[in-house]
Amino acid sequence: MKVREIMTRDLTAVERDVPVRELIFVLDNAEMPNVPVVDEEGVLIGFISEKDLIRAALPGYFEMLHSASFIPDMNQLTRKLGEIADEPLEKYMRTEVLSVTEEDDDLRAADLIIREGVKNLPVVDGQGRLVGRVRRIDLLRHFL
Amino acid sequence: MIVTVTLNPAVDKVYWVDSLRICQMTQEEFLTRATRSSTSAGGKGVNVSRFLSAFGMDNVAMGFVGGHTGHVVVRYLQHKGVTTNFVWIHEETRVNVTILESGRDHSPNLINELGPTVTEAELERFMRRYRRIVKRASWVILAGSLPPGIDPGIYEELAKIANEAGVKVAISAGGESLTRALGACPYLVKPDTRERLLLGETSLTSTDAIVAAGQHVIACGAQLVVISHDVTGDIAITPDAVWEIKAKVPTSEFRNLVGADDAFLGGILYKLAQDAPVEESLRFGMAAGIASAESEKKICEDRAKVEAEMAKITVERI
Repeated sequence: MKVREIMTRDLTAVERDVPVRELIFVLDNAEMPNVPVVDEEGVLIGFISEKDLIRAALPGYFEMLHSASFIPDMNQLTRKLGEIADEPLEKYMRTEVLSVTEEDDDLRAADLIIREGVKNLPVVDGQGRLVGRVRRIDLLRHFL
Repeated sequence: MIVTVTLNPAVDKVYWVDSLRICQMTQEEFLTRATRSSTSAGGKGVNVSRFLSAFGMDNVAMGFVGGHTGHVVVRYLQHKGVTTNFVWIHEETRVNVTILESGRDHSPNLINELGPTVTEAELERFMRRYRRIVKRASWVILAGSLPPGIDPGIYEELAKIANEAGVKVAISAGGESLTRALGACPYLVKPDTRERLLLGETSLTSTDAIVAAGQHVIACGAQLVVISHDVTGDIAITPDAVWEIKAKVPTSEFRNLVGADDAFLGGILYKLAQDAPVEESLRFGMAAGIASAESEKKICEDRAKVEAEMAKITVERI
């Protein structure tokens, strides 16, 4: 089966100059763990997740410990998030982005999602423009 | 690809009741139990998107959504195969209630909320997204009421942006937002006359008045004006003709009029987007509207049923 038959057709995305504060609003309200970053033509140029924001706020802990148990309190996270809240998200986005096309097989999407440990993948057209996303739950529903 | 803009979408809640009793005196309290109910995504542009997706036409629905009801709208549309591109806002998407009394199905009782207030920052996010998507569109549909906080000149501005991108515009709205949008010469104009039978300052109470008002809009640059004057009849005005569209269907067959007008517009656009002649587009549109009115669902998604209605529709030059 093709990705186009199982994907979620939603174009929720942000631009690279959107402030971190606004990005958090989008992630929260759209209930997405990550969101694609697009240019003015709608071409996929990056990807940013909740995890990237935590990494931005607590770089040392995240890279070394992969655990929050050594953090004495949340003041550091609050202070650091406050410091970066008005910065453009492009400082923290990832530009090497995995994606699939509508014509890719479901197995390729499943392989990428499982292997890379991501919750969803952007789906792009032949010109690299965002046309939707394929979520882990789309695959689970599809394979059931 | 067709882009539908619904700035004030809604969760449409429909209740079917045996009879609706309204309190007339103080300290009265009536409980009306619904025999059935349904929940769906609503708003004029959203309904057009639903129709287009049901008929396999690629389209994107955009506007503002917020809160739990915003998720209901987005998920419903995605389930129907519509591509969603909504801007999330701080306030919650409205709920519109329709109450259908048994035996009075063609006279629904409607309660529509005003909708959430949209901030300037949220509008700016929408405009950015709109400019991006309009480059990929062949048609833009601007439809429905405006939420609080949005200037009535918004449709004119959106139509101008589409014009600059070489994209055809259809508008289905009423009041000042429609009047001002006429300045941007939309291709198709369908006035929303549910609350007031007016187009600008013209009262649309007779065929002559409708034709005169339509021809005025054509003189402003529109190519097709469609005005409803009867449940089973509409008048369409083009630069070189006036058409009367009639459905030979008893109104007793109607089950739910909510959304039928949007299915009508969806049907017209479905055909126009494939470069069909105006006459054929109007006939198909009316068939879609009638099939929806005869269905308990807001939008008839059954192609065979719409095509079966075509035989009952006449489109004649007058």
